[in-house]
Amino acid sequence: MAAAAALGGAPRAAAQDSVFGIRGLGFLDRSVSANSAAMGGGLCLFDGASSVNPASLSLWHGTAGWAVGAGSFHSFDSGSGSTTLTATRFPLIGFAGAIGPRVVVGATISDYLDRNWSVIQAEIDTLRGAQVAAQDVTKSVGGVSDIRIAMAYRLRRAVLGVGLHVLTGSTETTVNRTFPGDSVYLPFTQQQVTAYRGVGISFGALVSPASGVLASASVRLNGQLRAASPDSVLHVGMPVETNGGLSWTPMTGLLLAGTAGYSTWSSASDALQAAGKGRSRNVWSVGLGAEATFLRFAGKPLALRAGYRWRQQPFAVDTAAGAPGLDEHAVTGGLGFETAGGRATVDVGLDVGSRAAGALRESFTTVYVGLTIRP
Amino acid sequence: MSAWRSAAVAVAALVAVAGCREQLATPGRCPTLCPAGNVQLADTVLTAADVADTSVRGYVLVREASYLLASTLDSLQSVVLLRFNKLDTAWYPGTDTALVGRQDSVVLSLHVSQRDTTVKQLLLLIYRLPGLLDTASTYASIRPYFADSQLVDTIAVSDTIKGGDSISVRIADSLVIPAADSGYVSLGIAIAAAGKTAFTIGSGNSGTVSPGLTFFVEAQPPLDTLRHSFPLSPYVGFFVMSPPPAQPPPGLLTLGGIPTARALLHLSLPSVVVDSNAVVRATLLLNTTGPVGGFAGDSFYVIAQPVVRDFGVKSVLWPDSSVSGLVKVGQGQGGVVAVDIAPVLRFWGTTVGDSTPRLLMLRAYPEGSIIGEARFFGRAAGANGPQLRVTYVKPYTFGVP
Repeated sequence: MAAAAALGGAPRAAAQDSVFGIRGLGFLDRSVSANSAAMGGGLCLFDGASSVNPASLSLWHGTAGWAVGAGSFHSFDSGSGSTTLTATRFPLIGFAGAIGPRVVVGATISDYLDRNWSVIQAEIDTLRGAQVAAQDVTKSVGGVSDIRIAMAYRLRRAVLGVGLHVLTGSTETTVNRTFPGDSVYLPFTQQQVTAYRGVGISFGALVSPASGVLASASVRLNGQLRAASPDSVLHVGMPVETNGGLSWTPMTGLLLAGTAGYSTWSSASDALQAAGKGRSRNVWSVGLGAEATFLRFAGKPLALRAGYRWRQQPFAVDTAAGAPGLDEHAVTGGLGFETAGGRATVDVGLDVGSRAAGALRESFTTVYVGLTIRP
Repeated sequence: MSAWRSAAVAVAALVAVAGCREQLATPGRCPTLCPAGNVQLADTVLTAADVADTSVRGYVLVREASYLLASTLDSLQSVVLLRFNKLDTAWYPGTDTALVGRQDSVVLSLHVSQRDTTVKQLLLLIYRLPGLLDTASTYASIRPYFADSQLVDTIAVSDTIKGGDSISVRIADSLVIPAADSGYVSLGIAIAAAGKTAFTIGSGNSGTVSPGLTFFVEAQPPLDTLRHSFPLSPYVGFFVMSPPPAQPPPGLLTLGGIPTARALLHLSLPSVVVDSNAVVRATLLLNTTGPVGGFAGDSFYVIAQPVVRDFGVKSVLWPDSSVSGLVKVGQGQGGVVAVDIAPVLRFWGTTVGDSTPRLLMLRAYPEGSIIGEARFFGRAAGANGPQLRVTYVKPYTFGVP
């Protein structure tokens, strides 16, 4: 009994970072600082605030703390209609301090997988011989965070870094069935909390092969992610994440940077398939950016930034064979300036782009605001 | 602007970005962007849920009812008995004392609660009863006073008079009160009509208007030019019935009537029904033994409330009215009466409700204000006994991760 049928109106998604966060393990976050975001992520291997490369901590010469807030505006088009979503999050917070002339240690907490999503489905049930309108709201709140404790060690012509990562977090998934317009049927709510645990280790290096040129590489090895609900436990293979990049200062006041990354997310496929979800794939990411510091603001240098980025999301949107994966493009820009007598830096980044998988398309605008304090 | 003030502005900007929050709703597409789980409902009838039941009469007594009943029905004959407060022997105009002398007139006032307007030519027959009316009187013991020799007046009730109207009639020039009656006057009210019927008037209980008897008198000489009225309310008002009230027959669930009856229903339920909020609808199906009684066109509610302490007929009910089932039944209604009691099952699934017995009290509402009575088959009737139809959500599979 109770054969459910979707109403003419399509299901709706509620506030979230991306409607695609419902797929696989969630939506892959970007743990970059605001200034790196403004440069398309091209700077992330050379940016002490971003948590990609532990060797980049060496760029701090004293104690520093930083935080990033991001507000996102999304417009999702399913092919049959579109609407706008908004979300706010704090994707990155960290601090670092120098221990002697060679060693810098730091800790960061950043978003790793975003699992915030909500879907509203209207249905008609046949109950006791009569048709009854029903509405289901399924909502997931939470995700997986990455806590990194890292150290960078300066050598004569290079910097080496190592970081220990702990993946932690939980999602609270709730399904709520209501019967609008029929007070005889009571609402139904059921909830499940899934907790996540995992560890990883990352290595990074920075070298200066020539004057004004920095080359960098990092690799992150992850253990399995343990996802545990009261009923079951799933161990998901996590990727090896490799990144390489170059930055070049061709002239004073101009910085060019680029980074490319590759992550073996196909390692999660078996576990996801066992859980009834679609397969995952290995993914690439590329970011390019430039920073010009020719202008001054309140007597201080004003950095203007621009960039472009492209990346793939690992989790299948459509499980059909040959279905396109989810790719993402964005152009970026922003600025940064010092304040508080040089003890603080404010960075603003703008990330405008779109992501698409077949006919499903989501455009987005994200505003990053970063604050760095060097007491 | 100081350096640190600039930093504060920057922090404020960060907070402002963070302060914008959440806009709902965009079209999605299933199954691609929908959760894997589905809310699935199932429906089942528990035929053996009722494991013990009983009915008891006496929750609202005749003297506590909000109405006084006179009836000539075959199934129930009834007369109203009223003993009014003592008539004073004097009143005190200014500094004088005026002794009650000649009675000028006596007026009886009644407030109609309910009548069957399909039965015409209704007459109220007012009889004089012994002033010190025995409150333990029965229909049989009081019937001899309803003789022609005791008839005070006959009031013709217009066919247009209906429930909520008042009747005020001069029933006599005087009602002589024997010394032995110590100033008390008692009256009895019976009815007659073109057909067999019932008639109720307000008793003064539960906010209703009670009957009144007003004596209009003159003072004794030398103040015999003075006039005065003495409105008397009932010292006691009740009614007696034939057949006299009795406990409901065993094996049936009886609700309402007067004295009012309630039924206790002891349920045995699978844990899945009460241990979660999965039940979205639970309907108690009660099979009537015959048409629901009462005035033509009348109706009342059947309420199912959970018992929190089982003291038999004096069991304590959970006071929250939202934790109950409620359905309206009408006079003459037969067949199955369905009471939705899902809130009660939800209550039994809570921490508070978990320790309470799976016991339901069925009662009529408003109790003591309606003459209607409903009878349902108990569990002894087998397939005709109470059944519980439950619609519930099957365990939802969220999946991991």
